[in-house]
Amino acid sequence: MVLQSSLKNCRQLSCILRTPKAGFRSTSGGLIIQSVSNDVYQNLAVEDWIHDHMNLENRQVLFLWRNSPAVVIGRHQNPWQECNFGLLRQKNIKLARRRSGGGTVYHDLGNINLTFFTTRKKYERMENLKLVVKALKALRPELDVCVTDRYDILLDRQYKISGTAAKLGRTTAYHHCTLLCNADKLVLSSVLKSPYKGLKSNATPSVPASVKNLFEEDPSLTCEVLLDAIAEEYATQHHIDHRITLINPADETVLPGIGNKTKELQTWEWVYGKTPKFSVSTCFNMAYKDSVLDVKVDMDVKHGRIEACNVHLPEHWLPPALCSELVKSLTGSKFCPKETTTLATALLRVCPQDDELHSRWNLLCENMIMLM
Amino acid sequence: ARKFTDKHEWISVENGIGTVGISNFAQEALGDIVYCSLPEVGTKLNKHDEFGALESVKAASELYCPFSGEVTEINAALADNPGLVNKSCYQDGWLIKMTAELDDLMNEDAYEKYIKSIED
Repeated sequence: MVLQSSLKNCRQLSCILRTPKAGFRSTSGGLIIQSVSNDVYQNLAVEDWIHDHMNLENRQVLFLWRNSPAVVIGRHQNPWQECNFGLLRQKNIKLARRRSGGGTVYHDLGNINLTFFTTRKKYERMENLKLVVKALKALRPELDVCVTDRYDILLDRQYKISGTAAKLGRTTAYHHCTLLCNADKLVLSSVLKSPYKGLKSNATPSVPASVKNLFEEDPSLTCEVLLDAIAEEYATQHHIDHRITLINPADETVLPGIGNKTKELQTWEWVYGKTPKFSVSTCFNMAYKDSVLDVKVDMDVKHGRIEACNVHLPEHWLPPALCSELVKSLTGSKFCPKETTTLATALLRVCPQDDELHSRWNLLCENMIMLM
Repeated sequence: ARKFTDKHEWISVENGIGTVGISNFAQEALGDIVYCSLPEVGTKLNKHDEFGALESVKAASELYCPFSGEVTEINAALADNPGLVNKSCYQDGWLIKMTAELDDLMNEDAYEKYIKSIED
């Protein structure tokens, strides 16, 4: 059912996407597209593009996509509250902020994403989720899957297999959801656990849930099988062609301007800078030689940058002038380990070559960086 | 006097400063608001620019600027109490204030008629 088509008919596809009235009768009323990319930023950019450029008056679109490992946070969330950055870096997992609301999810190739595009008026999440459940039940009638009033899909009334988020624009709307087929649950639960303490923020929080893969219930339920079943059900309900059109999110001729959208989603300003204002107020112990020191740190972070900062150390453990220089340098800089390392190193260069001082300084800065 | 846009925002101008909020129709349609994302004071906006977003249990919904001007104040109370927009959309739940250059917006009667026409 997957049609390896239309990429040679690029012009035709862009015609469909931009001016739906231009022929192609078999897809009038609806269109099913699938991304050939597994890059989370490219795929989120496709959503933006469709949202901004497509006329959905007489048609609806279903977009199918999968990503290589990534953590995706909701528009108004605080990534420090939602995931473990150290682990993300270690495992080379990307971090993305989407434009819809909702909570944080982990994506890998064992998870499928479905985006239902409609006009604002026809926006209806429950209907979409019921479509997914219908598709699943058509595949395996004995599957115990249902939709909750939080718009989650549960397996065996217990395990979350799908979460939902949505965006309402001027005239168009989209509802997207995940579906766990065969994702790495161990990685999922470890990266979605924040180690950061003392964070206070009014960012939208996630609601943790126990998850399960459909694959665990029935090993024949692969991503491909599920994608096909959902596309089939969508096509049936919308009385459209059962064909899936492949789309390349890097193709500017089909999606003019998509490159810029992709870039924007990757900027520090969007991923971290969009974090709602938050404060960090925490204490930690540093073991140094034979003693243990208590350090208290208070920071206000706005747009991802440290607005105000206070570090309380035992008196004279470090030269007070150096400490106040640290606070001064941190103020206005990004709440970011790389940036903090850079300014800490720079400050150390103007200090006397004292091994004791250097090792104390490095210890403090390492601990500060761990907060970020 | 309050004027309305077809995107369900209202504006009330006093001494050249316009206070902007969303209508009762809008807050009802959105459901419980859990987060208000508003611009910085001093931001210059053009008519139809996206100036922020409201996240409700329903979705993240963009806010569009009803006219051109500069943001002079934002409602700080919404940071800790975003539900004010639902409870008091015309008073305590105002969103931003900006220098106003009003043009063809709807008055209350025209807006009521507009809601009825789209509800069909």
